[in-house]
This record gives sequence, C-alpha cells and structure tokens, in this order.
Amino acid sequence: MARHNLGTVISFEVTRTFKKKQFWLTTLLVPVILGIVIALIVISNTTTSSKVDSQKDATLRFTYSDASGRIDPTLATAFGGTVVADEAQAIADVKSGRSAAHFAYPAKPTKQATMVYGADLGIFDNGKYSSVATQLMVASAQAEIGDQTLTGLARGSFQVDAITYKDGAVSGGFLGAVAPLLFLLIFYVVIVMLGNQMLTSTLEEKESRVTEMILTTLNPTTLITGKIVSLFIIGLVQMVVFILPVLVGYLFFRTSLSLPDFDISQLIVNPGQMVVGALLLIGGFTLFMGTLVAAGAIMPTAKEASQVFGIMMALVFVPLYAASLVVSDPHALIVQLFTFFPYSAPVTAMLRNGLGSLGPVESGIVIAELFILGGIVLRLAVQLFRYGSVEYSKKVSLRTVFARSRG
Amino acid sequence: MTSALLTPLDTLDRQARPAAGSRPDAEPLVHISNFRMDFGRSTVIRDLSFDINRGETFGFLGSNGSGKTTTIRALLGIYQATAGVLHINGRPFAPEDGARLGYLPEERGLYKKESVIDVMVYFGRLKGLRKAAAVAWSHEYLERVALGDKAKVRLDKLSGGQQQKVQLGVTIMNDPELLILDEPTKGFDPVNRKLLMDIIEDQKRAGATVLMVTHQMEEVERLCDRVVLLKNGEVEAYGTVEAVQDQYGGTVVRLQYSGEIPASVHYVVTRRESTYAELTVTAPVDEALILRELMDAGVTVRGFTAGRPSLDDIFVAVYGDQNAAGADETAGE
Repeated sequence: MARHNLGTVISFEVTRTFKKKQFWLTTLLVPVILGIVIALIVISNTTTSSKVDSQKDATLRFTYSDASGRIDPTLATAFGGTVVADEAQAIADVKSGRSAAHFAYPAKPTKQATMVYGADLGIFDNGKYSSVATQLMVASAQAEIGDQTLTGLARGSFQVDAITYKDGAVSGGFLGAVAPLLFLLIFYVVIVMLGNQMLTSTLEEKESRVTEMILTTLNPTTLITGKIVSLFIIGLVQMVVFILPVLVGYLFFRTSLSLPDFDISQLIVNPGQMVVGALLLIGGFTLFMGTLVAAGAIMPTAKEASQVFGIMMALVFVPLYAASLVVSDPHALIVQLFTFFPYSAPVTAMLRNGLGSLGPVESGIVIAELFILGGIVLRLAVQLFRYGSVEYSKKVSLRTVFARSRG
Repeated sequence: MTSALLTPLDTLDRQARPAAGSRPDAEPLVHISNFRMDFGRSTVIRDLSFDINRGETFGFLGSNGSGKTTTIRALLGIYQATAGVLHINGRPFAPEDGARLGYLPEERGLYKKESVIDVMVYFGRLKGLRKAAAVAWSHEYLERVALGDKAKVRLDKLSGGQQQKVQLGVTIMNDPELLILDEPTKGFDPVNRKLLMDIIEDQKRAGATVLMVTHQMEEVERLCDRVVLLKNGEVEAYGTVEAVQDQYGGTVVRLQYSGEIPASVHYVVTRRESTYAELTVTAPVDEALILRELMDAGVTVRGFTAGRPSLDDIFVAVYGDQNAAGADETAGE
C-alpha cells in the first residue's frame, strides 16, 4: 500500500503542478526572455557584422609622422596614409576638419605612446584610428623581419597543450573540472528553484486544514518522500525548459552569438569525482529539503516560512565568498570550516571536488555527514509534520512537538 | 439516489485490502484502556477507558476542552499517548495497515486549489480504490448531495457547506468499517443536516461502526446506541443512552401550564418558560401525586408527561458548572 501511495502522491503532486497556468507562465518566462535576448544579440551582431564589412571597404585617409623610422612608406600608402613633416599643422588640419586623422609615431614606440588624432566618429567608431595605427606598425615590423613564422612566433601565435599528472595519472585541469562542477550547478538550480516550493508544499496541508485527513490516510513519510520526488521531477522539467533555448542558440546561432566552439570530447571525466559529486548532490539535497520541510511544519503561514528560506539561501551562497580561497588555499581554516559545516558543506565540497582538492578521506566524511544528518533531519521533518502540523494556526515550538510525540 | 450509494464499493473494483472485521465479533472494534494524555505539565486526559463494539453507533460527549478531539487524535496515532492502550481492530492504528477508516475531523479542509473530482479521486486512490472506481463513486456521490455540476470546480469556489459535503464524501468513500465523525453537523443548515444524518444512518445500516463527537444531543438520542461522557479527563458516565438517562435523576415531568408552580420536596424546577416547565423528580413518589400537588396549588395544567431526562438536560447538569467559554478543544489544553 505504501509504495502504491507513494506513486499516487507523486502523480497527484506532479499533475496538479503541471495543470497550473502560473507554473507554465513562470517556467516559460525564462526561455522566452532568453529567446528574446538571443534574437536581439543575433540581430545586433548581424547588423554590426554588415557595418564592419562595409567599413572594411572604406579606406581611412590619414597623415602620419614617423620619428621611429620603422613605418614602411609603401605599406603606409596602401593603408591610406600620407607622410607629413609639420606635425603641428597636421593636428590643426584634423581639428579644423580638413584631415580625417593624423598618427604621430614616436622615436621609441615600445617605450613612448603613439599619438592618434582624429575627427570624432562616436565612442565605438573612434577605435578604428588606434586599430589602423597599430596595424600599420605591426605590418611594417613584419615586413622588416621578412619571415612569417618568425613574426608569428614573435606575436605569440602558437599553441601550447599542457598535460599534468596527479598520483601517476593525467589530471584534468580546467577540462577535468567542468563535468564534476555540473553537480554544483544542478544543486544551485534545484535549491533556488524548488526550495520555496518545498517549504510551501507542506504548508499547504496545514493552511488548507487537510493534515488530519492526510495523516489518517497515509504515512507522513510517504507523503514527504512523494513531495520531494515530485518536486525533483518538476525541477528537471523546468531545467529542460530553461536549457532548451540555450541549446538551440548554441547549436544554430553560435556564430551570431559569438559563442566559442567548445569541443565536448576534450572534457576529462573522472569517474571517482563524478561519484563523489553525485553523492554530495544527493546528500546536500536531502539535507536542505528535509530542513525546509521541517520549517514548513513548524511555521503557520508561507509568509513566516519565507524568513527561513532566506536564511537557507544565505547558507547556500556564503561559501562563494570564500571561492578564491577554495581555489588557492583549500586547507585554509575558513575553507575547512565551510567544508565540514553541514549547511555550507555541499557547495564547498562540490567546488573542491570539481577543482580536485577534496581528498578521499574528506569526501568520505562530508558524504557520510550529509547523508546521516539528512536522514536525521528528514525523520525530524516527518515528526514535526506528524505532531506539529495539526497546530494549524500556531507557530509550533520543538518542545511542544516532542511533548506530543512522547506524550 | 438511494441508500445503495453507501455500499457501492461492494460492486466496484476494489484493490486488495486486508479483510475488515476478521476478528471475532465479540471483540470490540475500538478499545481504549487507562488512556492518559499529558502535554508538558498539563494533563488533558487522566484516565479514560471505554470500548466501542462492532456495528454500534457511539456518542463521545463532553464540553469544549474536555479532551474529545485529543482522544481521537491519540486513537488515530496523530498524538502519542502518555499512557494506556488505544486499539482499533486489536492494534494501534497505522494508516498503512489498510484499516478501512473514515475520519471527518473537526478542523475541516481539503486541497482548496484543486477541483472537487481531483481531490476525491486522490483520496480514493490513497484509500486503495482503483482510479476508475474512485471516479465513478465520486460522481455518484456528488449527484446525491446535489453537487453533480461542481465536479470540475475548484474547492475554494464552493460554499463552506458544499465543501463539507465533499469532505464527507471523501470520508466515506472507502466504505469504512469505522467512521469517526467529529462535530459532523457543524456548519450545515437543517436541510443538509438531515441529508448528512441520512448518510450516517445508511453507513450504519451497511455495517459501519460509528464514533460520533457532537454537541447536538437530539442527534445522539436519535442515532447512538451507547455514549460516554467525559469530564475533567475522566469518564463521567458510560453506557447505553437509556442507562445514562436513568443514572441522571430518573424521571422528568414536562409540563404545559399557566399559574405559579409551587416549591416542593418532591421535585425541583429545572427549566421554566412562560407556559412550559420541566420538573426533575427528586423523591420516590408517583407522578400522579405531583400532578395533584400542582393542581391543588392552583396551577392550570394543559399537558403533563413524565419520562427520562433528555441528554440535553443531563449535559447541562453535568457541565453546567464548567466555564466552557474560551476553552480550546483543539489544543486539548
């Protein structure tokens, strides 16, 4: 009967959520906004691209003076430049609008600034003066070297692939951190999106005065498990809806959106890190959800319960303030505190697991801590729901609940 | 609609469920023995013992705050008793055991933002019915209580009385072996109160054991086989309705009259209106002697009947000394 009822609770909770217009309005709002943003970026980038193409064809006419002697006059002419001797006059011509621009190359270009003077074309288009002046100097230097490979090397245009080792095996580096850090992303999304729903879903039984009917019809553990599972399903659906426009944008508008071509096959997946990440996610989820259910059972209204939600959110985000320390010095005292304090442990440990600084012993301790405490908190939440939620309009103290449960 | 509605599940497809009433009929369905309930330092129930036999309708009476709801919650495992035995079918109640219980709590409510049919089917499924059976039963019930056109309406769009009808439907839809009704007529108008009473009587005829908490003493007299009166956390009276009536003062004379009722050593006036009075007989005398005494004193007697005291009278006599106002029955404290 219990298993049958668990299915019934999940089905009821999921179905009634999917039937609500408000759910779909809220859920679809994110992809719609993302879609609009993507569309605007695509349109904007297309326009900019056309403008850049048209500007490519329009040659900038300028004068220049060259104290360094590095500028190749032939290249300068090809770029649209005319050499002048009277620099003050050239600047005056720019001021009066008789000349579009003037570049003054100093005697020691690596130590002194090259000055460019030009007619104002607006914040963005003014950049082309510096761009043309730089290109002319680079092209002249390349011509002087006379070897394309050498100039490429001098410019640092070559690829470096790093392979690092840890415990005799290739370590992942950034590419190895991406996969396990996905658990952290899922944790944030699930807690932020579903936490408040979890808190209010048990409050609904209380506010609707349906608790006694429920408690005499099914086991509260079944009800709460059913609610957690159904919220997880709802959260997954929301995540798919949210990710869909991102995927469409990446697959079909990558160029227009100026997104990097990320090669997924380059990612390094360490099975050990993935297992630890998954266990930290499940343990952390259990602990946070259990705590929210417990809070929902004690608080009389959603308004009062929302204060608890605020505290929980703070606990989720506080470890990020120590993120730089987590990366640079994972053994610092504050990082150790965040690693083992139950409510900051999931985020800190998942971050360290992704970065490869969470050792096996630490992993074992944090996972055990999260699962044991999560189990205790869930049992407490069931107890609070069973004995506390019949106090419909009162804020229930733990003492009162245990008085009822012990008799 | 006929009373057949109340046993329709016999003909519907029900999922496997432990057989009800598999114990000998002689064993009470509900057994409460030496029940004590403390909330911290406050004792709500001191020592309570009573049984409810299979098939009977049992009245659980007491003033506000006397601990009736607390007792029911402890019987159903919502509270844990400080001491004592509270059994249904020979063991502590647990919803997962599959006992066929119908419970209408004093605090009424269902999922208000869902449609009537969705909520009824949900509870039907939780009570072990297949979905098709739950849907069919729900529609049939809604027709009977004149809510046939409200099946797809959200519960919070219904009136309080209509919501209570739906909740009663949820309570009885698993063809309960034990029906516990806490203030069942609260919030019902007289028409719907009669409908509710008819449904309870149908359940009774179908073999259900009914435990009823109510302050409507005429309902108790009409429906209940036995009652228990709870006072100060202990049993004040327990037995058949007649036995309890006999326990409280024997005969009551109901009088239609005009004139001035004289004082007497044979009776006390327990109720007096302009042309109606009730006299509780306090001495072992024949009622005819009282009639003669009244007429000798110049009272014009238009109607004279003698009988047992009503439960209403007994309730007033038992609890009249308690300041019931402000007592919190729900908290039981």
